[in-house]
Amino acid sequence: MRKRNIHLCSGKDKYEPTATSEHGTKKKKAKERDMDELKKEVSMDDHKLSLDELHRKYGTDLSRGLTTARAAEILARDGPNTLTPPPTTPEWVKFCRQLFGGFSLLLWIGSLLCFLAYGITSVMEGEQNADNLYLGVVLAAVVIITGCFSYYQEAKSSKIMESFKNMVPQNVYCAVNGLNDRVNEEGGGEGLSSASHFFPRRWITPHLLVSQSLRPGLQTSPMRTHWKLGTLPSFPPTVWKVCTPIAMEIEHFIHLITGVAVFLGVSFFILSLILEYTWLEAVIFLIGIIVANVPEGLLATVTVCLTLTAKRMARKNCLVKNLEAVETLGSTSTICSDKTGTLTQNRMTVAHMWFDNQIHEADTTENQSGASFDKSSATWTALSRVAGLCNRAVFQANQENVPILKRAVAGDASESALLKCIELCCGSVKEMRERYPKVVEIPFNSTNKYQLSIHKNANPSESRYLLVMKGAPERILDRCDSILIHGKVQPLDEEMKDSFQNAYLELGGLGERVLGFCHLALPDDQFPEGFQFDTDEVNFPVEKLCFVGLMSMIDPPRAAVPDAVGKCRSAGIKVIMVTGDHPITAKAIAKGVGIISEGNETVEDIAARLNIPVSQVNPRDAKACVVHGSDLKDMTSEQLDDILLHHTEIVFARTSPQQKLIIVEGCQRQGFLGSTLSQAKNVRSGSNNSLMLSPKVPAISLAYEQAESDIMKRQPRNPKTDKLVNERLISMAYGQIGMIQALGGFFTYFVIMAENGFWPSGLVGIRLQWDDRWINDVEDSYGQQWTFEQRKIVEFTCHTAFFVSIVVVQWADLIICKTRRNSVFQQGMKNKILIFGLFEETALAAFLSYCPGMDVALRMYPLKPTWWFCAFPYSLLIFLYDEIRKLIIRRNPGGWVERETYY
Amino acid sequence: MLLTVSEFEPKYQDRVAPPGLTQVPQVQKTEISFTVSDPKSYDPYVKNLEGFLSKYSAGEQTDSMVFEDCGDVPMDYKERGPYNDDQGQKKVCKFKREWLENCSGLQDNTFGYKEGKPCILVKLNRIIGFKPKAPENESLPSGLAGKYNPYLIPVHCVAKRDEDSDKVGTVEYYGMGGYPGFALQYYPYYGKLLQPRYLQPLVAVQFTNLTYDVEVRVECRAFGQNIQYSDKDRFQGRFDIKFDIKSS
Repeated sequence: MRKRNIHLCSGKDKYEPTATSEHGTKKKKAKERDMDELKKEVSMDDHKLSLDELHRKYGTDLSRGLTTARAAEILARDGPNTLTPPPTTPEWVKFCRQLFGGFSLLLWIGSLLCFLAYGITSVMEGEQNADNLYLGVVLAAVVIITGCFSYYQEAKSSKIMESFKNMVPQNVYCAVNGLNDRVNEEGGGEGLSSASHFFPRRWITPHLLVSQSLRPGLQTSPMRTHWKLGTLPSFPPTVWKVCTPIAMEIEHFIHLITGVAVFLGVSFFILSLILEYTWLEAVIFLIGIIVANVPEGLLATVTVCLTLTAKRMARKNCLVKNLEAVETLGSTSTICSDKTGTLTQNRMTVAHMWFDNQIHEADTTENQSGASFDKSSATWTALSRVAGLCNRAVFQANQENVPILKRAVAGDASESALLKCIELCCGSVKEMRERYPKVVEIPFNSTNKYQLSIHKNANPSESRYLLVMKGAPERILDRCDSILIHGKVQPLDEEMKDSFQNAYLELGGLGERVLGFCHLALPDDQFPEGFQFDTDEVNFPVEKLCFVGLMSMIDPPRAAVPDAVGKCRSAGIKVIMVTGDHPITAKAIAKGVGIISEGNETVEDIAARLNIPVSQVNPRDAKACVVHGSDLKDMTSEQLDDILLHHTEIVFARTSPQQKLIIVEGCQRQGFLGSTLSQAKNVRSGSNNSLMLSPKVPAISLAYEQAESDIMKRQPRNPKTDKLVNERLISMAYGQIGMIQALGGFFTYFVIMAENGFWPSGLVGIRLQWDDRWINDVEDSYGQQWTFEQRKIVEFTCHTAFFVSIVVVQWADLIICKTRRNSVFQQGMKNKILIFGLFEETALAAFLSYCPGMDVALRMYPLKPTWWFCAFPYSLLIFLYDEIRKLIIRRNPGGWVERETYY
Repeated sequence: MLLTVSEFEPKYQDRVAPPGLTQVPQVQKTEISFTVSDPKSYDPYVKNLEGFLSKYSAGEQTDSMVFEDCGDVPMDYKERGPYNDDQGQKKVCKFKREWLENCSGLQDNTFGYKEGKPCILVKLNRIIGFKPKAPENESLPSGLAGKYNPYLIPVHCVAKRDEDSDKVGTVEYYGMGGYPGFALQYYPYYGKLLQPRYLQPLVAVQFTNLTYDVEVRVECRAFGQNIQYSDKDRFQGRFDIKFDIKSS
């Protein structure tokens, strides 16, 4: 069976991609094979083929695309271009899973046992004691209600996920029958898209070959990406089905609680046999104790806690697909983040310019609040003209009212950045282009590494035709013999070349993409009006041009990222950046957002500082590390583990999507939990306390508790070793707090017995008489005689009082459970819902005790007011005990008290 | 904790009052079943009765420091001062075993069982300070009509079901001075510490003409203004007992 969310998961299952659709018996194997295939690099040579070869290979035509018939044929052969959707589970199966999965199963067993016990008693003794029947019904009702609730929750969130999927654009531009056509991705078809259109970066199935973008220098590889590391803002990440920690926790908890229940049950079974109860009574006792240990409310509490947190996260625009994932976030120890769009704005922006032998800084902030530069230089006018003209990007229509930076652009990222920059500094580029109509152009190609266009010059003071060119800076420089300085053409001497080199290196070192610009006013005598420029023959000069300047672009980090990274750091979460970018760019961004913190050096930095070869540097000296994808390819998993273990700040550059998988696997080998966000503060503490609490509202109210002030500074939970329910919690719950609570309860019990005439000394050994319904003159300590029913009423009054006492001591328990380390006085009592919970709990207890008819329905009897106060000292004791414990933990971190009692 | 509880008087008595009514011999499921011709079959009942009555023997009630003679006609309550030991222990009324006549075990040591005329003893549960109030005359059932005494809590046994009433036969009552009930001078009870040898008043009930070889259910009630009956507690102020006497 396919394992999911709440189901029992064994540690062996790792994860499985949601998108795989294999079914049947060989599934496990197929899955493994599939995983291996995913990790392999897809061998692709399409990008190396010449266009001729390419269109022959795919039987298409570069300008006209496929014929409709051929497209239909391919569609018939390969099917629609969609991901094979994960096999959908029928709704009733999902419902049954909620109803019978994991923890519910325990409750069902408990309920069955109750019915069994009822059956046995009614058949064997003919008694009409319906307690067990009621309990069984209540248990069953609890399971059914919580089951429906979780099902409803999950159905709701999966509906949201569905709607998200439909929001993702699924259209590509294809040339079919010579017409540019917007084709729904599912429509299929084979052909090359026209360049510079936006398609979803999410998945491209092999039979529709489109590149992500035809931007120079970026390697493109068609891939089947089932998931993305990091959050891509517009695409719902398809995640791996991992057995969530909470599911493992619950499984662990079931084991523990079953162990405890069976142990207690059997001990009491043996005890009751020793005390000469009948076999039947002993068996019913056994069942009773096992059922009593089933925390009926836990399931509901956990569900509600997770739902609340999920809702709170939804308010912060973080959609949680699966409730249990909420808790997973709480144990996040490593975040593997994508760069583009997650850490950065996903928006190329011109960051620097070099002209007049000087580097100028452009404004890169999201809201244009940064510094400006001197725009009066004639060189800048020339540079902006070149950048605006030698540029194929255009704004999409009807965006006059949109701020320039937010406008949608048709064109590749660099050109868009230039377009926006020029539009911002110099006004409408469109008008500029109208004044300088384009005559011819040579588009960018990887052999020339430049882009060139010739424009008619409207300015009568200059020549008739203007040649503008942009491209890789060194190539551009090679084609120049002069340079524009303060609007004056000067010869390009060695000194200038040096200063160009320095500027180029400096900008490159910042991780920026640098472009060079040059122009040439074509002399009127050689190029008269109406001259036929021929781009194939190149009947115009492309050498001895005039260098104008450099412009460099970067995808700037988001403003909020450095702070977020810092918070993650202080919470002990390791942030790893994974990107396809060049290592220098990657490192610059990583430094910019604090993933590589100030003062930390990589091996290369150390080598450069000490001026020694890289091989002589001790890798342990470097905390930070930039790993190149090509190195990663040759690494063994041990080497990768070594890197993950010994470096605190890691950047993976030039990684392929396949390698991302390898990296995440590496992290998971470390026992890290890779996750994308860490919002789940409360979950860390919330579910801890459910064990101790039986009344439901107070337990749930803890989910509303303010996180402890320093919670984000604490280490994330390691799901392998830090169990939510660990032996220390059990020891606290059963052994220490539980003991005090039991003491409080029994104290009240004995007080009531004594005040009614049965002193504790008189109670010893009284049980056989006490429980014999045919003895109706049992003597108390005063010599009074009691009928069976009278005794039982006192006994049940004691039970009621025991319950009330537990409520009273739970006040203290609830308050101490607000925090795990801080004092309640530090935390305050601001949680209104918790206070409501306290009152609700108390009111419920009072209602159960005093409401007429409760004696018949639940055998609960009114209490004398004084009996309410019996447990108060114990309540206080618990509070003081825990405050002192926390004080010691705070004063003496890591000490014996913390090791033994911190849960 | 125990410091807050008096040694002599319980703090709360609302659960123990009104008192229960119980019988001797004490039997499982209150079923008395025996064969007249087989002494072994009724031996447990006899032993139980004898054991219970041993405290009521004349020889046990000789200590004049403890026992006082309270007469043999029902009289009003005997108040013996506050519920503490400032005046030492309190005296106790004698209860003469002979008053139980055929059921005293003095003449017939099988309490009528060998003749198929079984005796049972009826007693009202002890409650410290409890003063049962004699019933009003009008409220008495027809069987007790005319036997009203303002200082007596009468006991009366009838068939549980009306259709069994002819099977019960004659019922004889033996009590203090021949009165079929509990006399008020035995109340109030002062507790185990102050009256360690207190003898609660008894009424012996003998069924002299029970139908054999069928189950006969009999219900006995004590009557008093502050003696109540409850559907839930079938031993409060009454009890029922089943006879199954086999002739051979």
